[in-house]
Amino acid sequence: MQPHLKRAFTLLAIAIIGFIAVRALIVPDSFGQNGWYRGDSVFELRNFPVKHAEPVSCGEEDCHKTIYSIWSSAGHKTVNCETCHGPSQEHVNNVRIMPPPANDSRDFCGLCHFKRAARPSGFPQIDPETHGENLKCAYCHNPHKPWFV
Amino acid sequence: MESLIWGYIYPNEAEIQWSILIVLYPYITGLVAGAFIASSLYHVFGKKEIKPVARFALLTALSFLLVATLPLVTHLGHPERGIEIMFTPHLTSAMSGFGYIYSFYLIVVVLEIWLSFREDIVKMALNSRGWKELLYSGLALFSYDISEKALHDDEKFAKKLAIIGIPSAAFLHGYVGFIFGGIKANPWWSTPLMPLIFLMSAIVSGIALLILLYLASMKLRKHAIDHKCLHSLAHYLWIFLILDVTLELLEVISMKYESLEEIEIINRLLSDKIATTFYGVQLGLGIFVPFVLLLLVGIMKNRETLKMIMISISSVLVVIGVFAMRWNVVIGGQEISKSLSGTLTYVPVFFSQEGVLPAIIILVIPFIILFVITRILPPWKDMEEKV
Repeated sequence: MQPHLKRAFTLLAIAIIGFIAVRALIVPDSFGQNGWYRGDSVFELRNFPVKHAEPVSCGEEDCHKTIYSIWSSAGHKTVNCETCHGPSQEHVNNVRIMPPPANDSRDFCGLCHFKRAARPSGFPQIDPETHGENLKCAYCHNPHKPWFV
Repeated sequence: MESLIWGYIYPNEAEIQWSILIVLYPYITGLVAGAFIASSLYHVFGKKEIKPVARFALLTALSFLLVATLPLVTHLGHPERGIEIMFTPHLTSAMSGFGYIYSFYLIVVVLEIWLSFREDIVKMALNSRGWKELLYSGLALFSYDISEKALHDDEKFAKKLAIIGIPSAAFLHGYVGFIFGGIKANPWWSTPLMPLIFLMSAIVSGIALLILLYLASMKLRKHAIDHKCLHSLAHYLWIFLILDVTLELLEVISMKYESLEEIEIINRLLSDKIATTFYGVQLGLGIFVPFVLLLLVGIMKNRETLKMIMISISSVLVVIGVFAMRWNVVIGGQEISKSLSGTLTYVPVFFSQEGVLPAIIILVIPFIILFVITRILPPWKDMEEKV
């Protein structure tokens, strides 16, 4: 082989070896341990503090029993307490720490209830321009028992 | 927003994700593959009449190849993560192959250019001083053997390389078509013909671009045009145009003839959403008019200037028509809902990361690169001899 071709191929080989070396350095060791992701990320995620407490924690021990029983038999029973009231594990651990105030803005309710072409026609939807005179939804509707206006 | 939507669409379809940048990506890789295949008409198939533009075509291919990744990287929300496709490619996705296919092809093109310009590089290294000497010596890898035997070996190796180059050019671009053709949820994309359609339109656009660049550079350098070479390019353009239109029409006709459940939405797409860009620009201006003009060029005797004008017009139309084809595939495919009973509308934005402005900038860069490369490695010697 001609010397210039040898040099070209040596250069190419160096580039390829360089790539393999950089790849070995950059790809995390735990990558591919359990699948196509970084195995260590499972442990990192597991160590995150738990923020949500589940609705059961609100209803048990008599704390919010009345509102819990109203909610759990009404139309919004599939909408978790913490969806509107925010994450509350800290509050469950220590009642003195209050969860963030509930989100009662029109736009928040609208995430589910503003009219969209893609929603099933039987689903309660409103046109925000014409319905409710820009009042907060909870002014007329009870969010814990939606048809209790 | 509501007026841009017709019928029933899924909520996650409301925004069109693959914008004009993703239209640009197959367009640019197509120009690369086309220019490379045009050059291999000489390098592999020995078509002597193409010789004047053979090396220029390689430089054109390289200039466009260097920016082929830019539309994709710009499209990414996290461009710095683009390289992950090389480090941890997930082999169940066709897209994961891009990094390796692209790199392999880049190596082939660079080697091919290096071998075909080596004699010039060595001569310039020996005949210049200062930083120029350093640049060319570096490009020659500090090996200055240009004896007859060395050049003969180079030529043999370059030919072998070009033989690998053709399938890899076809693979690079056929693969882009495969990505679209393999999306079974989208009836406008999902067809095994897609890689071939992409490849044919790539060759067509590459040859047309080469014709335009050849004419422009000869005009700028005030040099006579080699009409034999031009007519030969126009001839190949015409042949590939026929193959291209055959496949494109075959796809639509078989879709209409089969009339599967998606036909209603496809009809709506063709008659409403992309009617102008499909029938008007892609088929009418991009294929039919150039086809007739190039046919006349083939029939006419003498009248070289008129023929040259007709070839230039055809090439401009082809280059625009192929862009429209990429648009109709990429944007058209996203304008129909996966529900098959609704349509959306893509409205291009000018100033944004996904906008028209970055697309224009990305499309201009290869011409600047080509200008710089032709300063370093002038291909004019072949283009200007014996006319």
